[in-house]
Amino acid sequence: MGTIDITYFDLGIGLLLLAIPFFYLWKFKTGLLKATIIGTARMIVQLFLIGMYLKYLFLWDNPWINFLWVVIMVFVAGQTALVRTQIKRKILFIPITVGFLTSVIIVGLYFMGVVLKLDNIFSAQYFIPIFGILMGNMLSSNVIALNTYYSGLKREQQLYRYMLGNGATRQEAQAPFIREAIIKAFSPLIANIAVMGLVALPGTMIGQILGGSSPNIAIKYQMMIMVITFTASMLSLMITISLASRKSFDSYGKLLEVTNESKK
Amino acid sequence: MLYINNACIAFGNEVLFSEFSMQLNKGESACITGQSGCGKSSLLNAVMGFVPLSKGTIRVGTTLLDKLTIDTIRHQIAWIPQELALPYEWVKDIIEIPFALKANRGTSFSKEQLFMHFDELGLESDLYQKRVNEISGGQRQRIMIAVAAMLEKPLIIVDEPTSALDAGSTDKVSMFFRRQTEKGAAILAVSHDMDFAKSCNQLIKL
Repeated sequence: MGTIDITYFDLGIGLLLLAIPFFYLWKFKTGLLKATIIGTARMIVQLFLIGMYLKYLFLWDNPWINFLWVVIMVFVAGQTALVRTQIKRKILFIPITVGFLTSVIIVGLYFMGVVLKLDNIFSAQYFIPIFGILMGNMLSSNVIALNTYYSGLKREQQLYRYMLGNGATRQEAQAPFIREAIIKAFSPLIANIAVMGLVALPGTMIGQILGGSSPNIAIKYQMMIMVITFTASMLSLMITISLASRKSFDSYGKLLEVTNESKK
Repeated sequence: MLYINNACIAFGNEVLFSEFSMQLNKGESACITGQSGCGKSSLLNAVMGFVPLSKGTIRVGTTLLDKLTIDTIRHQIAWIPQELALPYEWVKDIIEIPFALKANRGTSFSKEQLFMHFDELGLESDLYQKRVNEISGGQRQRIMIAVAAMLEKPLIIVDEPTSALDAGSTDKVSMFFRRQTEKGAAILAVSHDMDFAKSCNQLIKL
């Protein structure tokens, strides 16, 4: 619409800027140069592919295809969480999939149906980007929280058992670890909310303004994006931890071997 | 109060002990002694439901320990594990942990009573306001003993209560436990300290 296109040549010129961070990564022997080059190459290929399939998703604009895309994204996110937390598949996969799917549907449809009052809540223009941003945020906060929760339980077994041994319910004994997980996962988000618009102009808002929207509309969308990502991340985490905890402890409340590496 | 019958604990093929039986009545204390690695702490952990018995049974009061009754059993116990180090900054926070639990809400926390127990155990009341890293291991042990007594549970289980204490402080702990048994509590301890072990009603060699 009102956005200036970037030609492939100009995109190449823009990518030259990466020479600066690449130089310092190399100069200080960080060992990150190769990973950064591979990561950048992957990003370029992935975004071109996403650009292509999003083009067709928007072209077809079929609710079933859109919903199928969300389901696939949920499974991919669940698989990514398994790799990044090293938690056993039989403990985490179903809880995190249920957590993601439930939260994204409840929060996403609430936003599109109740707040935006869309005639077609499965419209690809809204459905795809909103569910996509929710998935991305849920994944990163869940990975941080789950790592904190299980590493805390393993490290502070004495606290967990002291509480259980002195009459705590399973929920009470797990509560300090859930608290730590929430603090670690959500502190950056809360800090980000507090300085929104002052220290940094957020991506959604920038994207909308570049796309030709008025700043008045852009700020309202940005507020809602912050609210729905925060809510969906918290809801999905609570569902995931609640379901995963049922498989993480034995009948006596003792923590089982939850990670793949502890098998060794 | 506590009945252990023909108990055996084994990890894989390694049998720590077998055919162990004991009975602890209300108002009695018992101390289990034995060489390091003979399974003393594992026995206490078995009573807490953290280590499974390979054979035998454990009964607390009239309740047979199994996966359905473990919560009921834990409600009757005040437990102090060995070398308890909890990740809190302040002593007062550690003291207050068990009193915030639903199971212990019937037992109100009172500083007066806590400081009375502190006094009996040779502790100054200003410890309550200190940071955990400002107190010694021996002080921490006695603080947890005072907390366990305040919970007013019928059974107190304590692992190595005097390992960081000198003779004078050990005597105070022995006297303190005696007063708890006189009030009706049963105390099961594990210790290498023979002076402490001899002060208990039963001395059991594992």
